[in-house]
Amino acid sequence: MEKGNKKFVAKSLATATCALLGTTGTNPVHAQEEQPWQFDTALLYYGENDDRVQDLSLNVLARRSFADDRILSLGLTVDSLTGATPVGAAPMDVAQTFTRPSGNSAFSVPANTQPLDDTFLDTRYAVTAGWQQPLGRLFTGTAGVSFSDEYDYTHIGANFGLTRDFNKRNTTVNLGFAFAQDDIEPISGSPTPLSPMLDVGDISNRRGTESKDVVDVLLGVTQVINQNLLVQLNYSFSDSSGYLNDPYRVLSLVDPVSGDTLARTPAPGTEGPSHEFRFESRPDSRTKHSLFAQAKYYMAGKVLDVSYRYMTDDWEIDSHTIDAKLKFPFANNRYLEPHIRYYTQTEAEFYRATLTAGDPLPLYASPDYRLGNFDAITAGIKYGWRTDSGHDLGLRLEYYMQDGDVPGNQLIGNQLQRDMYPGLNAIIFNFSYRFGLGH
Amino acid sequence: MSYSQFKHLIISACLVAFLCSSASASDEPGILDLSDAQGHVVVVDFWASWCVPCRRSIPWLNEMQEKYQDQGLIIIGVNEDTEEAEYVEFLKKFPAHFKMIRDAEGTLAREFDVVAMPTSYIIDRDGNVVTRHLGFKIRLMGDYEAVIRNVLSGSEAGTELVSAARPRQ
Amino acid sequence: MSITFIRFVFSLFVLGFLSACGTLGVEPWERDVLAKDEMQLVSDPLQANMDDHIYFSKEASSGGRGFGGGGCGCN
Repeated sequence: MEKGNKKFVAKSLATATCALLGTTGTNPVHAQEEQPWQFDTALLYYGENDDRVQDLSLNVLARRSFADDRILSLGLTVDSLTGATPVGAAPMDVAQTFTRPSGNSAFSVPANTQPLDDTFLDTRYAVTAGWQQPLGRLFTGTAGVSFSDEYDYTHIGANFGLTRDFNKRNTTVNLGFAFAQDDIEPISGSPTPLSPMLDVGDISNRRGTESKDVVDVLLGVTQVINQNLLVQLNYSFSDSSGYLNDPYRVLSLVDPVSGDTLARTPAPGTEGPSHEFRFESRPDSRTKHSLFAQAKYYMAGKVLDVSYRYMTDDWEIDSHTIDAKLKFPFANNRYLEPHIRYYTQTEAEFYRATLTAGDPLPLYASPDYRLGNFDAITAGIKYGWRTDSGHDLGLRLEYYMQDGDVPGNQLIGNQLQRDMYPGLNAIIFNFSYRFGLGH
Repeated sequence: MSYSQFKHLIISACLVAFLCSSASASDEPGILDLSDAQGHVVVVDFWASWCVPCRRSIPWLNEMQEKYQDQGLIIIGVNEDTEEAEYVEFLKKFPAHFKMIRDAEGTLAREFDVVAMPTSYIIDRDGNVVTRHLGFKIRLMGDYEAVIRNVLSGSEAGTELVSAARPRQ
Repeated sequence: MSITFIRFVFSLFVLGFLSACGTLGVEPWERDVLAKDEMQLVSDPLQANMDDHIYFSKEASSGGRGFGGGGCGCN
């Protein structure tokens, strides 16, 4: 019999699975339980070693489905941050005193310890809203806004996305844009880059508020390989411009031979830094390129989720991320999901552990360990179950460990005996609860 | 393709489906011999329990079957679930009041060249496929019904309304 | 690895996928596994957001994930 020409074989089928550039997601509905409202809630605890950062956050994502695959998403996050963060200065074999970011008082750290500032106590609120709907049979459009606020940082953003299906919906091409405008209001004003940390009460080197803009573009392809395998490949581009400094981080100014931080005395009658410190300086623009690949593979009930990301930018940071999760289902809608993640990055071109006195001052320098050379591993496990009423609960415990070092050629004299790079390890604990509402 | 060629195609497709479905011992309704359906308007709807829009279409199909039964409408649901258990579970929750055929191997779907889930083909009283609609949209339910009414009354008006409507070549 | 290299690799993949028409993929009625919640690219968007925020605060890289594709392929 005649097979017939394929003239009216339509090109593709619809889908509606999305996370919009990593923000709010959409369409989780299982065919059986289609409830108009779905709520995802989670409580997350993040705690670092040695009284460093501790963060407790409450997260809610509400999704409302309307007729014909149109979805409204609303998200809220409340974060409470406490604990100490590295100042950026190098440890010394004597105690050191620093002026607090506000300029109103001073604090000291003991000898041979990583200088940490424990004044950070902050609550952040973030809200997102997103809309998704089909545009014609083969296109899906998304749009969203985001807003967040903490005491020294405000963010406003908008995002747009478009997907188009091909090959009977086996192939999907995604295009996304996100724009952000952030305002930074460092306490007592942003310090002039590379200016010294001054005595208590002296904020003469402070400027006002700052801002930065970020543009993100994503282009991706999702492909169904077979009944059990789905892959995605994305290219993303990100461009930030404006104030990219960490206003509270300083570099130690050290002796070119001994590597010890130069001492100083505060003005008579005041407290102030015991040594010479300079505020960091970063370029006012940063361009990043990433390539991301992900595969989801179904193996007789188990689901393997593996991804790889390569990032390179014009600060000369290169990073590789490998992430793998395997979901093991058990009877009665329970599951266990172990997770492992490996991350490695090379330092920014202007990353410096310290500044050397006598050398010409560089244009850019930052001791921020987050721009340094390190590896990180996350290992964790999640246990999930479903209640009789069809609500999904989960408990997740993860351990995150960062280990890095200062590039050898940067270390001088006594620094070689010291632990110049603050490693980090943290516990992540997460409780999640998902439920639907409505008939 | 002529009417008789098409009729033969449908009958052979049904026979193939019959052979496949009778191979698994299940209790779905037997094969529908479409030569009996001459003079009726037949809606063949391909669906599966894991397909959300398909689930939304079942109550509407029930309504159509009941409403236009007397005018000679026959709805045939062709289920594509590979897991029999899921199909049975689903129909317990969302009962269908029209004829059901199991097509677990996808043979019928392939014969009909299904490109979307769900897809409904409308066959007029002379056995010609006059239209199909891809997917199921709540806001188009009125349009879908209008097409059925038109085909029942013998006019072709609106058959291009819903989707690419061309008789199979 | 340079930016040009990334672009090259990526274009190869895109062209490969778009031109590999009938050879890769499944029929519309064979998507029962792909329709499952756990088979979506981002099966838990809330968890993905929370983790993204942690890693964004502690590392120099962020994002990369996309949206769209897979799933039941319905409508």
